[in-house]
Amino acid sequence: MTRSLAAHRPGAAASCAHCGLAVPGGLVRAGDADQFCCNGCRQVHTLIGEWGFDQYYRLVGQQRGQIEPARVSGRSFEDFDDEREQAEATETRGPDRRCTRLYLEGVHCAACVWLVEKLPAVLAGVDEVRLNYGSAVAEITWRPAHTRLSTIGRALDRLGYTPHIHRASRVQEARRVEDRAALARLGVAVACGMNLMFLQGAIYAGEYSGMASPYYAFFRWFSLIVSLPVMLFSAKPFFRTAMAGLRARVVHIDLPVAAGLAVAFAASVWNTVRGSGPLWFDSVAMLTAALLGARQVQRSAQRAALERADSLRGAAFLEFARRLDGAGPDAPVVEVPVAALAPGDRVEIRSGELVPVDGVVLSGRSSLDNAVLTGEAAAQAVGEGDIVNAGATNLGARIVVRVDAAGERTRVGALLAIVQDALARKPHLIQQTDRLARRFVQALLVLAAVTGLAWLSHGPGVAMERVVALLVVACPCALGLSVPLAVSVALLRAARAGVFVKNPDALERLREVDTVLLDKTGTLTQGRPTVARWHGDDVVLQMARALEAESSHAVARAFQASYGRAFTVVRNVDDVAEAAGQGIAGRIDGHAVRVGTRAHVGAGGASVPAELADVAVAMVADGFSPVFVAVDGRVAGVAGIGDALRRDAAATIDALRARGLHVRILSGDHPSVVARVGAELGLPAADVQGGLTPEAKRDIVAGLVGQPGRAGAIVMVGDGVNDAAALALADVGVAVHGGTGATIAAADVVLTREGVAPLADILDGARRLRGVVRRNLAFSLLYNAVAAALAMTGFIGPLGAAIMMPASSLTVILSSAFTRTFARPGASLKPVGVPGRA
Amino acid sequence: MDVIFVLLPLALIIAAIAVGFFIWAARTGQFDDLDTPAVRILFDDEEPRPAAAPDTPSRRVPR
Repeated sequence: MTRSLAAHRPGAAASCAHCGLAVPGGLVRAGDADQFCCNGCRQVHTLIGEWGFDQYYRLVGQQRGQIEPARVSGRSFEDFDDEREQAEATETRGPDRRCTRLYLEGVHCAACVWLVEKLPAVLAGVDEVRLNYGSAVAEITWRPAHTRLSTIGRALDRLGYTPHIHRASRVQEARRVEDRAALARLGVAVACGMNLMFLQGAIYAGEYSGMASPYYAFFRWFSLIVSLPVMLFSAKPFFRTAMAGLRARVVHIDLPVAAGLAVAFAASVWNTVRGSGPLWFDSVAMLTAALLGARQVQRSAQRAALERADSLRGAAFLEFARRLDGAGPDAPVVEVPVAALAPGDRVEIRSGELVPVDGVVLSGRSSLDNAVLTGEAAAQAVGEGDIVNAGATNLGARIVVRVDAAGERTRVGALLAIVQDALARKPHLIQQTDRLARRFVQALLVLAAVTGLAWLSHGPGVAMERVVALLVVACPCALGLSVPLAVSVALLRAARAGVFVKNPDALERLREVDTVLLDKTGTLTQGRPTVARWHGDDVVLQMARALEAESSHAVARAFQASYGRAFTVVRNVDDVAEAAGQGIAGRIDGHAVRVGTRAHVGAGGASVPAELADVAVAMVADGFSPVFVAVDGRVAGVAGIGDALRRDAAATIDALRARGLHVRILSGDHPSVVARVGAELGLPAADVQGGLTPEAKRDIVAGLVGQPGRAGAIVMVGDGVNDAAALALADVGVAVHGGTGATIAAADVVLTREGVAPLADILDGARRLRGVVRRNLAFSLLYNAVAAALAMTGFIGPLGAAIMMPASSLTVILSSAFTRTFARPGASLKPVGVPGRA
Repeated sequence: MDVIFVLLPLALIIAAIAVGFFIWAARTGQFDDLDTPAVRILFDDEEPRPAAAPDTPSRRVPR
């Protein structure tokens, strides 16, 4: 009987004192008041207690926060003390203070704000910490004379927040300055507009019931003064872009806005000076405020996605290396920034860390996971003299590597350069609405000229009034407002559904999709070996896990990862002996346990029962490596180790194909492995390609994108550095959850929910968004046509136009805000335990 | 009603001061982060727990 492991989770007898997850059976320490699910949680909980911050747990409860199992990297963070590294995110505050921005991994709820901001109470030399909960960036004010940044880094790490120097600091600062100016403009426009409406109300009342002329003139001049800040300060961006457009001989969507504002303002000033005729100062101000407001909404929706992507990219990849200072394999180790490495340096790579450089192994034996670089799911065994590449993960024991190349000169650095190049060449999409708006604007300007000429025979005053009425009523406000609003509402909804849209153009491109290209390793599959299948008793698996916790071999990691995280064993384990390439043996609570190959468990005097042997053969046929477990001389179970498909992969591919899309797999893994996965997902063999280099993937995508007469967009989905160039070149690049910094940088859409299921949601959301946009455009065009006709024929004056205009805007705002584009995901798809496939 | 010639400019000056403060607040970044301050204010600091009182002889009630 082969069953899914998910059903084998130990009963929730004890929950972790830190994160509240169930403590695996083997880890319960009898007699202890606090139980922990992993070593990270134990460390963090102990430190929080030591520092007297127990209140944290109460706050988490109040905030209904969910703590994740803590990860403590155990780094020394000495590279943070490098002045050049610091400079990217540091400002000097006075003679002896600095303010540094650190991006923190693991910020999960508001209680983290409390905990992180408590740091000055326990660290001398730290004056203040401010954590932005949304972006997880902490601003730390500290005194270099009293502490070091590495000390602060270690403290944060030990609290379970792995810090990274916030490299995007400068870019974000520039963007922030822009945002602040925009906010100030909006505030001024709203304040002046409100006051102008009151003044205008008084003037209208005066016209209706009579008003003594000095008061009448006073109110009109007063309106002129109040509207000046709007024209000179708030509306400046419209005039600037309209002028820039004219200079470049392009009709910009801001042109009619600018023209309408200028004409209405000029006419109002003229009427004020001559002392008669209508004023439109309030319309000018409220129009400006409405347009600035719409832009502000869109800006803030986009900024959330951008900042998150920036932070992740900064936190990226390969920030530091452990350099051996001195001769011999046991020389003292210093953590230095990758930029400070020179060829010939020796670096140490511990178990579980990324290889920071291209080089040659000097000492140690281990296995490396190259999945992000090549797409190969199987680990590569390395020993003395073997070449290693930056970006690979060390799955096994500590190795020492001689540096041949670091930074941009590594293979991964070259790949990233390809990505940059591809991004620079990506054509910027002219949005459909922009094209439409341009035509509309051109038509409008012609109509205005015709109207002016036609009414000229009635005197310049009347002609002016008609033209102003036309420009105000037909101002493409609804047009300019409806699309940004619909898009920003969709962006917000998508973000809540686990889809971060970095590039809003992507939504436009996703309207019609032709082909979806998927990476295999890490996208359709988990990307790391796990115990994908288990045949045998739960207790036996628990024992195997307890024993494998003693090892750092790749197979051991698969066992450890089968509950989603590594842990340290607390069960009584003795006499552990590892046989290289064979397996591991030891005693657990008095039972002799052997885990490994058939020969290894057989050496203990056990023979494999026929039933288990058949299961093992079936596992091999499905591409998994069987690992046998023997307890007290009896082979009691067999585990299938391999890179399992994600639980939602098959359903998502079926859903995509049901929409009539062409689904293909592009993988760097071995063709036979890829073919098997393709067959399992029901894809025709012609659509499944393996053994592709990153360059080959890029060329396939470029070929598809450049194909003449293709029906729709090409979507590429991936997670590794080897997919990044292809992601950048595709019409829409999608980075799955857990992708590397390079993919996040290259992608248009980043999934923040595990799995590939959000892909179908994105397509549906984009389709619904298109519906909303179409409806809004149709309405505003119809409205404008009718209103323009009325204004040209003189049925409505400028005042009537000023009343009609906001009515149309309100309609499109409501239509944008209340249409469901992206639905919230029903249930979280985060896999619990190991997804079973049997 | 002539008072309106004084009151209206006065109101404008007051409004201008308010708008000035708004611009100052926006420029100094007080609207940059709208999420964190909302949760930060919820955190009351607990009274420091009294240290376990040492069992001194003076606490014994003399007979």
